[in-house]
Amino acid sequence: MNSRLFPVTVLVLVTAFLIGPFFIIVAASLSEGETLAFPPQGLSLKWVAKVFEVESFRESFAMSMLLAIGGTAAALALGIPASYALSRYRLPFGETVRTVVSLPIIVPGIIVGLALLRYLVVPFGFNITLALFLAHTALVLPYAVRVVSASLNNLRSDIEEAAVLLGSSRAGAFFRVVMPNIRSGILAAFILGFVTSFNQVPVSLFLSGPGVRTLPIDMLSYMEVTYDPSVAALSALLAFMSIGIVFLAERFLGFSRYV
Amino acid sequence: MFHNRAEALALALPAAVFAAVVFLAPVVILLAEGFRNADGWSVSAYSGFLSDPLNRTVFLRTLRLGAAVTVVAAVIGYAAAFAIVNLPPKGKGRMIGLVVLPLMISPVARTYAWIVILGRTGIVNQALTSVGLTDEPVRFLFTETAVFVGLLQLFLPLMILALISALENMPKDAIPAARVLGANWFQVFWKVILPLTREGLVIGGTLVFTGSLTAYITPAILGGSKVLMLETLLYQRVTVANDFVSASVIAFILIVMSFAANLLLKRLATARSKR
Amino acid sequence: MSDPAFLSLEKLTLAYGDTVAVKDLDLSIRKGELVAFLGPSGCGKTTTMRSIAGLLKPQSGRISLDGADITRVAANRRSVGLVFQSYALFPHLTVFENVAFGLRLKGLSGAELESRVGTGLKSVGLTSFADRKPAELSGGQQQRVALARSMVMEPKVLLLDEPLSNLDARLRLEMRTELQRVQRETGVTMIFVTHDQGEALSLADRIVVMLNGAIEQIGTPEEIYNRPASAFVADFVGFENIFAVENGKLRAGNGPIELPEPLPQDAAGLAWRPRMVTLGSGPFQGTVRGASFSGSTREYLLDTPLGALKAEVDAAVPAHAAGTTLAFDLPVEKAAKLERFN
Repeated sequence: MNSRLFPVTVLVLVTAFLIGPFFIIVAASLSEGETLAFPPQGLSLKWVAKVFEVESFRESFAMSMLLAIGGTAAALALGIPASYALSRYRLPFGETVRTVVSLPIIVPGIIVGLALLRYLVVPFGFNITLALFLAHTALVLPYAVRVVSASLNNLRSDIEEAAVLLGSSRAGAFFRVVMPNIRSGILAAFILGFVTSFNQVPVSLFLSGPGVRTLPIDMLSYMEVTYDPSVAALSALLAFMSIGIVFLAERFLGFSRYV
Repeated sequence: MFHNRAEALALALPAAVFAAVVFLAPVVILLAEGFRNADGWSVSAYSGFLSDPLNRTVFLRTLRLGAAVTVVAAVIGYAAAFAIVNLPPKGKGRMIGLVVLPLMISPVARTYAWIVILGRTGIVNQALTSVGLTDEPVRFLFTETAVFVGLLQLFLPLMILALISALENMPKDAIPAARVLGANWFQVFWKVILPLTREGLVIGGTLVFTGSLTAYITPAILGGSKVLMLETLLYQRVTVANDFVSASVIAFILIVMSFAANLLLKRLATARSKR
Repeated sequence: MSDPAFLSLEKLTLAYGDTVAVKDLDLSIRKGELVAFLGPSGCGKTTTMRSIAGLLKPQSGRISLDGADITRVAANRRSVGLVFQSYALFPHLTVFENVAFGLRLKGLSGAELESRVGTGLKSVGLTSFADRKPAELSGGQQQRVALARSMVMEPKVLLLDEPLSNLDARLRLEMRTELQRVQRETGVTMIFVTHDQGEALSLADRIVVMLNGAIEQIGTPEEIYNRPASAFVADFVGFENIFAVENGKLRAGNGPIELPEPLPQDAAGLAWRPRMVTLGSGPFQGTVRGASFSGSTREYLLDTPLGALKAEVDAAVPAHAAGTTLAFDLPVEKAAKLERFN
C-alpha cells in the first residue's frame, strides 16, 4: 500500500486520543483561574503549589508511598523464595502454588478490600493500615512471582551446583551466585509492583478511615467536593512521577524484557 | 541438588499460606455469604438480586459497555497496529512507547482529563457552541457515552499491543500475495489478516473485556450514580445500605467472568506454545 | 524484430521515499518470452518486478501490458502472477484452499473450482497433498504449491522472485526443468529475478543485466556470456581478466602495457576468460603464485606486469609449481570487446 495518508491519520488520531488527555490535564493544572477549564485562563503555578499545601494530600501521599514500598518489599520477600522453589524444584503441588499465588490478579481488587474489611477489620478490630498493607502485598505478590520467575528461568541452575561443589553452602550459593544474576529482574519486579500499588484504587476503597487513605482515594473524595484544578495538578505530578520511574527503569534495566 | 521436597515447600509455603489466609479465605467466605440465607444454603440471594430491575439494568449495561468497548478497541486497534508494524524501526519503537505510556499513568489521572474535555464548560462543548451546533452545553458527563470513552482510552493500548505482537508473527508476504491473487483490502483483512492474527485478537479482547467489566474508577468518575456499573453498584450497596448479600452476589459474578477470561487466555497460551 | 511488445516499461522511475531505486528504465518483452533480471543485490531487479506486479507505484513512467496502460491499476486487478521467494503460502489454509484462493475471489465455486484446482495441483504433481497444510510440506513442495496458486489464475505475466536460490543442487535442477516445462506448455510470459548468472544462463530466452537501477545489457544467454558489453557484466559472468583500454594500450596497475597486435579502435576495455589466456608461450612473463585443481582443469594465479591474472589449463598438462616463471599471451582475437568500462 503506497498511500501513506491513511496509516498516518490513524496514528495521529490514536496518539491524540491516548496522550491528548494527559496534556490537557497538565495545561489545566497551570491555569490562573479558579475552576477546572481548558484552555487554561492564564498561566500560574499556584495550583501546583496548592497540592503541596493540602494536608490530606501530604498524608495520603505518604501512606501510598509507604504501602507501595512496604507492600512491594513484603511481596518480594515472599515471592523470591517462592519463585526459586517453583523454578528450581519439581514441587508436588507446584502448579497449585503458582495458581494460588497468582489469584490476586484474577480477582477484582474491590472484592479483596471488602472481604478484608468484613472479616478481618470489623470483627477483630484489626488495624486498618495493617489490613491495607496486607491487601497491597497480596496485590503485588503475583507480579513479583511472575517477574522473578522469568529471571530465574533464564538463569541456568548448573552454576549453583558448581558453586556448591566448590565448597559453598546452599544458602551461600543463592546469595553469591543467583542473586547477583537476578538483581535486575528483582529491581524490575520492584518497580512494577511499586507502580501497580501506588496507582491502585479498588483494593483501597473499603479500607480507608480517618487519617488512613491512599492518595488516589483521597483524590477521589476531594473531587466529590471541589472541582478546582489542584486535582489536575496532582494528577499531572503523579503521571510525571510514574513516567519518570518507568523511563529510568527502561534506561538502566531494559525493563521491557521482564514485563 | 533440587530434590529435597521439604526445602522446596519451606520456600514456597510462606507465599502460598499468605495468599491463602489473607486473600483466598476472606474472599471465599464473602462468596459463601451469597449462597446462604436464614435456612442454610440457597441461591435465593441471586434470584432476589436479579429480580430487581435496577440490578438487571446495571448487569446488562456492564456487559453491553464491555462488549462495545472491546469491539471498537478491536477495530481501532487493528488500524493502529497495522500502521505501527509498517513503520521503520525507530519510529516503530517510539510509537510503541507512546502506546505503552498511558498504561503507566494512574487511572484516576487518565479518567480525570475527560471531566475537562466533556464537562459543561469543557472543550467539546466549547467547540460545539462556538461552531453553532448547540445553544446550550450538552451533557456528556454521567452518561454511558462518557463511561464508554473513558474505558476505551484506558484499555485501547492493551489491544494495540496484543495486535502488534500478532501482526509481527504473521508471514510477511502473505498480504502482497493475497493482493496479487486479486483480493481487495477488505478481503485481505477478512481472509488473511484476521485468521492469522486471531490469537492476538482474543488475547487483546479478553484483557479489554475483563478490564471493562471490573472497572471502578472510570465508571465512578464519569458515570457517578447515574450510570452504575457492577463495581460502582457494589460500592454503593455496601456504603449506603450495608447490603453485603448483594455485594457477595456481584462479587461472584465478577469473579466468574474474570476467571472464565483467564482460563481462556491460559488455554490459548498453551495451545500456542505447543505448535 | 517487430513483434509488438507484450509488456513494456517506458522511462520507469521507482523510488522508496527519497531513495531512487530505478531510473528511467526502458524495456520491452515479447509474449511468451522467458526473461531473467540478473544483477547484484540493490541493483533494482526486485523493485522493477514488484512494480510490474503493482506492489510499488512508479514515481514516473509507464507500464503497459497487452496493449493496456496498467501503471495506475491496483495490484489486485492486474493479470499478473507472483511467486514470492518465501512462497508466501497461507499457513491457515490447506494446499487446496491455497491454490483455490484467487479463484474463489473471482467467484468460482463448486465443480468448476474443484476441477481448476485439481488441474493445477496435477500439473505440479501434488494432487495427493491437497488436504495438507503448508507446514507439513517440504520447501520444494511449498514452492510448487505457490507456482500452482499463481498459474491457475492464468496470468498474462508470471513473475518469480529468486525461484532457485533457496534450493539445493538437485532440487534446483528439478525446479528449473519444471519451470521450463510450464512455460513451454502454457506459453505464459515469464520473468524471474536472480543474482545467480548460472540460473539466468540456463533458463532464460533473454537476460536483462542490471546495476544501480539501470540496465547494463540485454541479450540472449550466448550474447551475455560471450560478448559482455561492460566491465561489470564481464565480471559478473566470470571473465577474470578485465582491462581498460587507453590510447591503444591496456591499462594495468604498473602502467600501460602494449600488446603485440593492434587493439580494436572502439573498445573501451578487453576481457579474457581464464582459459583464453595462452600459457607457456608468448611475449609476457609471469610468476605462478598459486594453483588449484578442479578435476578436468587446473587454474593458475599469476603475478604479472599487468597485475594478477588467472589462467586455466587442461588438467592433463603437467602442473607448474609455485614460483615458476612462465611465458603467457593475451591474444586479442580471443578477447571480449567491452563497450563500456565501469
